[in-house]
Amino acid sequence: MTCIRAVSARHWTLVMVVAVFGLMLTTGASAQDKPTEIPVTIENNRFSPAEIKVPAGKPFVLVVTNKDAKPEEFESKELRIEKVIPAGKTANIRVRALKPGSYPFFGEFNPKTAQGRIIAE
Amino acid sequence: MGATFVVVLREGFEAALLLGIVYAYLTKIGHPESYRYVTIGGALALGASILMGVGVSVASGPLADFGPDVIAVGVIFVAVALLTWHGWWMGRHARELRGEVQRRIDEAHAQQRLWMVGLIAFTGVFREGAETVLFLWGLLTQLEEASGWLALLGATAGLVGAAILGWVVFQGGRRLSIHGFFAATSVLLLFLAGGLVASGVGRLQGLGVLPAGDPLWDTSWLLNDHSIVGSLLAGLVGYRARPSALEVAGYLVYVVAAGTLFFPTLLRRRGASDLAERAANRHV
Repeated sequence: MTCIRAVSARHWTLVMVVAVFGLMLTTGASAQDKPTEIPVTIENNRFSPAEIKVPAGKPFVLVVTNKDAKPEEFESKELRIEKVIPAGKTANIRVRALKPGSYPFFGEFNPKTAQGRIIAE
Repeated sequence: MGATFVVVLREGFEAALLLGIVYAYLTKIGHPESYRYVTIGGALALGASILMGVGVSVASGPLADFGPDVIAVGVIFVAVALLTWHGWWMGRHARELRGEVQRRIDEAHAQQRLWMVGLIAFTGVFREGAETVLFLWGLLTQLEEASGWLALLGATAGLVGAAILGWVVFQGGRRLSIHGFFAATSVLLLFLAGGLVASGVGRLQGLGVLPAGDPLWDTSWLLNDHSIVGSLLAGLVGYRARPSALEVAGYLVYVVAAGTLFFPTLLRRRGASDLAERAANRHV
């Protein structure tokens, strides 16, 4: 008896954690309108356009085409995005509604040249 | 050359660390003959990484857009679950080992644990595996240029660097007493898993599954996420230069909750509760 009670008390913490995450999941997944698509190209280890202007407060989709002969990873620490785009492929990257500001991104595989930022205004 | 070195070292660092720990763990519990479980786990992960790399390159459409993200988040939380279980197990059994430096954990116990250790090796390698495979593959297609060879050399050095790190962890771990080893790896895994929780929460925020918010603080002037030290600390203890509130909350909740599982004696020493102690005693 004591054993069962003690164990369940300990597992209770874990149950709580799961419940909190579950709650966050349901509140977070709100319905979104069809977001606008913004084309971005990777060529010669660079993004073009390197500066992307978007309206603040609206989610959007970056349609990133990699024209180089090797894969690139689109990464933004600020936006918590990591997406590998193989050579010659196009990837759709959904970006959440942003507050006004500047959000840098870079190509993880060529961080020196592949730099850009999203400007939400 | 330096750039590819850093990329591969960063991707391979966590895998090497985990492999070093689990190999050393098997040595410490007196089952070095079971290395193959870890080796098989790691090798399967390598195969899965290559498959996924090929899959990402071939597939297109919504599956290609969401599949890798879903898998990435899934692997993160599976890894957290495995590491938590492992830490919990070490916490329960640390006390049994009292006074015996090289005690052989009994066969039945150990057998149950082996698939677990293999799975930890699998998730450790698979987590950044597909990315690394794609990166190296990309380098292999650039070999017509002289700079391509330098880049490949750098990447190879990065792999070797990660392997050396894993080897150092393994050798260091082997030299510790079994108590020291359990304690050191519990602490290491606790914060590493906490960092994984923060990563998972961050990815979910990036995907719009969890609400995003302003960063709680900004220490990028002190230590940037992009720097090599920053990114290694990110893998090791979950460092973030600009963490969101949810990431911090997830990290703290995890470290506190898992900490009580990993270190049941801490609770007892504080006199907060003898519940955990009783549970541990009955359970052993």
